[in-house]
Amino acid sequence: MFKAIFFKEWLKTRWCLLAALILCSGFSAYVVARVFKAVELQGAGHIWEVVAGRDAIFVEPLTFVPLLVGIVLGLFQYFPEMQRKCFKLTLHLPFSSLRMFFCMLSYGIAALSLCFLPGLLLLGTGLREVFPSEFVSRIILSALPWYLAAYAAYSFVAWITLEPTWKFRAFAMVLAFFCLKIFFLAPAPEAYNAFLPFLALLGFSLFSLSWLSVLRFKAGKQD
Amino acid sequence: MEAVIECKGLTHFYGKRKIYENLNFQVPRGRILGLLGKNGTGKTTTINILSGFLAPKQGECLVFGENIREMKPATRARIGLLIEGHVQYPFMTISQIERFYAAFYPKWRRDAYYALMSKLRTSPRQRIANMSCGQRSQVALGLILAQDPELLVLDDFSLGLDPGYRRLFVDYLREYAKAEGKTVFLTSHIIQDMERLVDDCIIMDYGKILLQCPVSEILEGFRLYRCQWEGLGESEAVVSALEPFHELFHPSLSRRTLEFGSFAREETVQRILQDCHIEYSGLQASRVSLEDAFISMTGKY
Repeated sequence: MFKAIFFKEWLKTRWCLLAALILCSGFSAYVVARVFKAVELQGAGHIWEVVAGRDAIFVEPLTFVPLLVGIVLGLFQYFPEMQRKCFKLTLHLPFSSLRMFFCMLSYGIAALSLCFLPGLLLLGTGLREVFPSEFVSRIILSALPWYLAAYAAYSFVAWITLEPTWKFRAFAMVLAFFCLKIFFLAPAPEAYNAFLPFLALLGFSLFSLSWLSVLRFKAGKQD
Repeated sequence: MEAVIECKGLTHFYGKRKIYENLNFQVPRGRILGLLGKNGTGKTTTINILSGFLAPKQGECLVFGENIREMKPATRARIGLLIEGHVQYPFMTISQIERFYAAFYPKWRRDAYYALMSKLRTSPRQRIANMSCGQRSQVALGLILAQDPELLVLDDFSLGLDPGYRRLFVDYLREYAKAEGKTVFLTSHIIQDMERLVDDCIIMDYGKILLQCPVSEILEGFRLYRCQWEGLGESEAVVSALEPFHELFHPSLSRRTLEFGSFAREETVQRILQDCHIEYSGLQASRVSLEDAFISMTGKY
């Protein structure tokens, strides 16, 4: 059954996942290429100085890419379920609704992680060619909140898309906007370091909100 | 006979609009029961409650003795559900959807699905999104038959189907249900289809059930009465005089032709007309189709 559930999710999201994988890896490759070019033009010493002294992290082009991937993946996964109320078919299957929804969310989390992993590996290994490991971890840690925002955005999209009433959808959208802003507030490198576990907790606790939408859908709530 | 579906005291409102109050009915095992009603009388609401996608304001629905709101997955496996418009996952192909569903049903009958698919001029790799409504209806029906459920719940199965596909759907379903002793609960807005398909029917009017009985009882016992009104005075008074008699459905007078439906015998009708001091001539009682009986019982408006 698990295989069948993942098969259905895969059918909905395969092209989106491929595009997301290319996008994330492409942006990471672009960032690494940009650093290499800067080193070539201005010398490694100068670039190190810029990173250490002027808080440069070079990964700014990546800022909203994971967020975009999280939103689009959520839409590709949950929107087809709500088209003509196909979700009824899913919930009518002889399988616990909670476990079904947990499987769908797990697929999304795993898919997002798989999209981000090659890009992050590329970033880590590429930057290690130019920078010491302290600088690399500083850059990665500075970018980490953007990746956590992707998981939060994904769970917000699940919540909003599965919600059966527009009134609650609008409320969830406003909440999502302000909640996601938290992940992009501090522009300084590593500004979120102490805050990262809280952000991760926030991102993952949002998944329970989407279960609320499932319960409301099953209760037949409508505008 | 054992009841597969039992609805007790169902009451539902959308906002302040009452759909129905204290609705009670049962569907016996092995019968095909059609729910008939005009638009807005609560047919889809009833199906939604029955399939667990709507919590009624009051009352409960038991399917196989289990409250639908707390139904176990194993009990859901015994219920085949057809959603209005023959909805199926549009992103899957004919073969993908069969593989997907097969994983959930232990009694899955692959042959039953592909037997029906062979009647379609489609390839197993055709996506459901690119199919016509008729073809989609066959996919949805094939999937339900392959589940081998004991109870089939079908919401407006004729929606969007041309006469050929409607006939195919009705004949295939009736043959299957009768051969395998399945219980079917369905709605449709095309009543001719119901006449061919169902054993029993429930006729709903706004807020209540008008009638639940075998279709044969309606076809044999219901009569459409017509006569010429010979009296003078206000025509509205004639209709008003007949309205308190609940055995006469929706009396109407048009160009001096008085018309109403009833299960009552001709003598009883004559007595009522005489008691109301209605002058009439040429009283005729005619047998009617299920559709005419339905319209007569629920009114044209």
